[in-house]
Amino acid sequence: MTALLELKNLKTHFKRKKVTIPAVDGVDLKIHKGETVALVGESGSGKSITSLSIMRLIPSPPGEIVDGEILFNGQDLARLSDNDMCKIRGNDISMIFQEPMTSLNPVLTIGEQIIEVLMYHQKLSKRAASLKAIEMLETVGFSRAKELIDDYPHRLSGGMRQRVMIAIAMSCNPKLLIADEPTTALDVTIQAQILDLMKELSKKYDTSILLITHDLGVVSEVADRVVVMYCGQVVEEASVDDLFEEPLHPYTIGLMGSIPSLEGDLDRLYSIEGTVPPPEHFPAGCRFSPRCPHAFDRCRNEAPVLREIGSRSVRCFLHDDKEATK
Amino acid sequence: MASYIFRRTLMAIPLLLGITILSFAIIKAAPGGPVSMLMDPTMKPSDREKFEEKYGLNDPVHVQYFKWLGNMVKGDFGNSLIKRGVPVSELIMNRLPNTLLLMVVSTLLAALIAIPFGIYSAMRPYSKLDYTVTVGSFLGIATPGFWFGLMLIMFFSVKFAWFPTGGVATLNAPFSIWDRIHHLILPAIVLATADMAALTRYTRSSMLDVLKQDYIRTALSKGFKEKKVVLKHGLRNGMIPIVTLFGLMLPSFIGGAAITEKIFAWPGIGSLFIDSAFQRDYPVIMALTVVSAIFVVIGNLLADILYAIFDPRIEY
Ligand SMILES: Nc1ncnc2c1ncn2[C@@H]1O[C@H](COP(=O)(O)OP(=O)(O)OP(=O)(O)O)[C@@H](O)[C@H]1O
Ligand code: SF4
Ligand SMILES: [Mg+2]
Repeated sequence: MTALLELKNLKTHFKRKKVTIPAVDGVDLKIHKGETVALVGESGSGKSITSLSIMRLIPSPPGEIVDGEILFNGQDLARLSDNDMCKIRGNDISMIFQEPMTSLNPVLTIGEQIIEVLMYHQKLSKRAASLKAIEMLETVGFSRAKELIDDYPHRLSGGMRQRVMIAIAMSCNPKLLIADEPTTALDVTIQAQILDLMKELSKKYDTSILLITHDLGVVSEVADRVVVMYCGQVVEEASVDDLFEEPLHPYTIGLMGSIPSLEGDLDRLYSIEGTVPPPEHFPAGCRFSPRCPHAFDRCRNEAPVLREIGSRSVRCFLHDDKEATK
Repeated sequence: MASYIFRRTLMAIPLLLGITILSFAIIKAAPGGPVSMLMDPTMKPSDREKFEEKYGLNDPVHVQYFKWLGNMVKGDFGNSLIKRGVPVSELIMNRLPNTLLLMVVSTLLAALIAIPFGIYSAMRPYSKLDYTVTVGSFLGIATPGFWFGLMLIMFFSVKFAWFPTGGVATLNAPFSIWDRIHHLILPAIVLATADMAALTRYTRSSMLDVLKQDYIRTALSKGFKEKKVVLKHGLRNGMIPIVTLFGLMLPSFIGGAAITEKIFAWPGIGSLFIDSAFQRDYPVIMALTVVSAIFVVIGNLLADILYAIFDPRIEY
């Protein structure tokens, strides 16, 4: 089965006064049709930059996709013209963000912010687009959608605004929805509702989701597969069941050890010692070696590669020999 | 909206009254009375008393004030002391259209040039064009208007004789729109330059701020081209502080235009102000003070209303 989206050795670097910041430094990742893939990792590991690279929304300068491929339906987005990319963004791939309070334009009506996408990508008439906008708002759970389209966003709560964002993102029936920590800014109860909605819509429209999150609890709830990132690279990738049953990478094990109890956003309480080094100071050898409890000499001199082990992959010398297991 | 405007207008009345009291007091306290201007050396001191009697200058101060205020409400600002017998209201009404014309044209000129440059600078900060625009606006802000006006006259009126040196129209010539425009160009450029420079800076910083916002990233993620994102999603937000600025700039047009009007012999309110001040033409000075105050109040009112129109988050 060919993947809907495949990142091959994606490198997105920032250039600041002759210093190169390798924020994303060789990411490999696959998302299949209809699949929900969670991208996890501590703050600064390059999750957002990866997702913005897929959207080709890296601020440039200073940022640039310097290497690798972003294969979407077999087409390399990294090499697509800006014009062609505009036809994909918001249409085939759409995105929602962490901050629902500031992600909607305060001076445009809610209706206008959905209608404009439909008119632009689907070439609908204004009338048809308004009808579709109302339908979308109903789909994401608003009961008085007809009145809502003439309202401005400032009256809505964060959770409701995130629903509007989802309605906008799903309006053109995208093949891939990228959600960058869509529930981090919301109350716990609202979080669950938003996640349920995304899950439901993904099923209904057969949309794949790339869900970026800190919260491993969320991952176990909604994801099919998990990709763990550290220092601009993927360190482990596995199905949710495999990962939770037996995390292989010491970093993943560290993350698991710190899953917060049900309530509360305790992602800063990772029990892994130390902090993520900034990209300009990534250590030589295995990037996790300064914090890894199992690090040995080889780890400090040689960089491990992402190695397939059966249906999963891991980037760690401890699992070098496991190739044969399957 | 209508009731909001009505309420704001009502609130302006006490403010206006305060301004009239203040301007009345300041003029009263100023040295040199109107009578000394009217006297000529051949007059006797008893003539002076007659004058003071005639113009009500012997009444108690508050009586003078209320008389003046009462007449003013009726549109009667009294007669000019210098141009005997000419009502002040007529003097002002003759001049006001000229000032308004200069004001509107120079502001439009400034806005039409400044806003696009400001937007572009914000879209490409620290680019060559941004630096050029920045340097240009600082030059514009730093250049004194009177000097710039004189330079323009020296080169374009005197040396090349492309433009008239002053006035609103050629004397004794039949009305012609081209003649009017011809006279308008240089003073409008001088006035526009200062506004343009400031407005470019404001637009740039406002847009720079807006373009960093999350909703701009949302608009980009919808697939819109940069131009559409900036003009549709950015500009509407970036303009909110700018339109407000226009309202607040309104009164400064009158004061700011005075020197330019003087240099270009433009018969407007500003030059009338200067002339009357030198001649101690009290009724005119006071009338103009009140008119300027009204402009300040209208400007503020306009700023509030524009703000409410442009920003749906404002409750009214
Ligand atoms: N505009 C930029 N200029 C330079 N470096 C940047 C820029 N944007 C991001 N980076 C770098 O890229 C690294 C990865 O950032 P990214 O936002 O992808 O992290 P993240 O995994 O999404 O973290 P978080 O969980 O906090 O959102 C950061 O360490 C940061 O230093
Ligand atoms: S390679 Fe070595 S340092 Fe890196 S995670 Fe594995 S054991 Fe730890
Ligand atoms: Mg992020």
